[in-house]
Amino acid sequence: MSKKKLSFEDALKQLETIAEQIELGQIGLEESIEKYELGMALVKQCRDILSRAELRIEQLQEGESGKLVVKPLDLSNNKASEELE
Amino acid sequence: MAELPFEPPPEPQRFDPSRVAGPTPASRSRETGPMTVSQLTGLIKRAIESGVPSTVNVIGEVSNVKRHGSGHLYLTLKDRFSELSCVMWRSDAQRLKFVLNDGMEVIATGGVEVFEKTGRYQLYIRKIEPRGVGALELAFRQLRERLAAEGLFDLERKKPVPRFPRRIVLITSPTGAAISDMIRTLTRRFPCLHILLFPVSVQGPAASGEIARAIRRVNTEHERFGGVDLIIVGRGGGSLEDLWAFNEEVVARAICESSIPIISGVGHETDVTIADLVADARAATPTAAAELAVPVRDELLATINTHGRRFARMAQRLREISRDGLNSVLRLATQRDPFLLIRRREQVLDEFASRLERALLNRLQFNRRRLAALDAIVQRIAPHRFVFRTGRALERVEHRLRLAIHLSANRCGMRLLETNSRLDRLSPVVRSIESTRRLDRAEDAVLAGIRDRLESLNQVLSVTERLLNAVSYKSVMARGYSITRLRRGSILLRSINEVRKGEHIATQLIDGKIESQIVSGSEPTLFEGP
Repeated sequence: MSKKKLSFEDALKQLETIAEQIELGQIGLEESIEKYELGMALVKQCRDILSRAELRIEQLQEGESGKLVVKPLDLSNNKASEELE
Repeated sequence: MAELPFEPPPEPQRFDPSRVAGPTPASRSRETGPMTVSQLTGLIKRAIESGVPSTVNVIGEVSNVKRHGSGHLYLTLKDRFSELSCVMWRSDAQRLKFVLNDGMEVIATGGVEVFEKTGRYQLYIRKIEPRGVGALELAFRQLRERLAAEGLFDLERKKPVPRFPRRIVLITSPTGAAISDMIRTLTRRFPCLHILLFPVSVQGPAASGEIARAIRRVNTEHERFGGVDLIIVGRGGGSLEDLWAFNEEVVARAICESSIPIISGVGHETDVTIADLVADARAATPTAAAELAVPVRDELLATINTHGRRFARMAQRLREISRDGLNSVLRLATQRDPFLLIRRREQVLDEFASRLERALLNRLQFNRRRLAALDAIVQRIAPHRFVFRTGRALERVEHRLRLAIHLSANRCGMRLLETNSRLDRLSPVVRSIESTRRLDRAEDAVLAGIRDRLESLNQVLSVTERLLNAVSYKSVMARGYSITRLRRGSILLRSINEVRKGEHIATQLIDGKIESQIVSGSEPTLFEGP
């Protein structure tokens, strides 16, 4: 996972702001170039976040220490869950 | 609603001993001997216990409610004519969902017993139902009112739900449809999510405690498994009793205290629980909660790609703008004319050049005048024509002088031209100062050259002068030669043919002039041998 990068939410928000600013022509030429580069970087970052993160389904359980631990999902008693498998 | 067979309140009636089922009904007919208080109380106790059904449902108005420190509840039930003192032991009072208040119309269920110590009979209530409304319904209303007064449902208190959670905890039952519905929905919409199930029971007396505890534990421990962005609490549909855990105050408090945003999804569309009211976002069903929790990833990707395309278009436009911008900068620059400065420098150079030219011309003219003066002198020194060698020498000198001056002038002219063309070639702005300096140097050099040349010419002139003096007619005359001129016009006499008989002539000798008249003349014989 990326260390202290922008969260996806912030990245997308920034992306929307930049796109709007540029489209409305609110910023100067030089700044536009900067923003354009930033925007492209954000597009890439957002895409990466969405496509790299994988789906994980697990469950929390009280471990031996009394603390919560992450365990594989167990819905064995659940009739309704059969279709999920 | 409690399923109670409705029984109208018994008519108040006078005590009828025949209706009391006593151990010894027959003994009522006769008077007894003296008995102790406890004997009588025991008699009454037995009479009541045998004569009154062990479980009665009593309708009445609640008054004098007292909750004792021990947890037991004391109250009085009354109607227009009678009062009944009642006790509810702690174990039963704890199960009371709603808060018992004075003035409340209730149906109390319990048994009548005699408290022998005070000789009072009391209704020992095991269960109380409010009249007209269910106990749970009432409890719900009461809790809602109380929590609302505390501000727990206020929008300002609610935490914003993240648009793009990465890790979600589902607090729900591991059995039943709700969990499958939620997982299926979350997975379908946002297949890049970490889902953690926190299994709890969602109905029964333990449920509310488990749910509240789960919420608290996720809050205190979630950093250990990477941080949780969102919690969903919920369960599928059921009766009010089934959903009751979500109406419990402990659950409401836990939701309220959670620092992680919580979405509730309890029951069906129409069910609203306290948990729903206090949660940061409320969904009608567990599935709806899952939909509310995550965006559709494909839509999101499409949006992002749209932004990417917009940026690409923008880049194209930026390129155009840059080109236009550059052109306009150039236009502006041309208007300001950056070459003006260069032209000014060129003008200065031109001035220097023409000054140089004028100076050279002046010198040349001066030299020419001097030369002309010298020439005039030479012209005046006619005797050289008599003196062949001298004349020749003079001619050579003159020729050399002219040549020298021409040469000098030409050289100066050439250098001037060269300087001019060099000046022309110079890159104007950058080298103008240096050019000016070089021009100055060139001017100095040219002037020095001219000076040198003139000096050497002057020297030649003085030599020539001395030479001329040396060959002057006077020294010739000293050697016996004389100059003869016709008196008319003072013309130099060179040939006998230039003079006629009788004409006067003047002859200049070294020491004076004599005048004579032509007597005769003859061909060269005249000069033949003395």
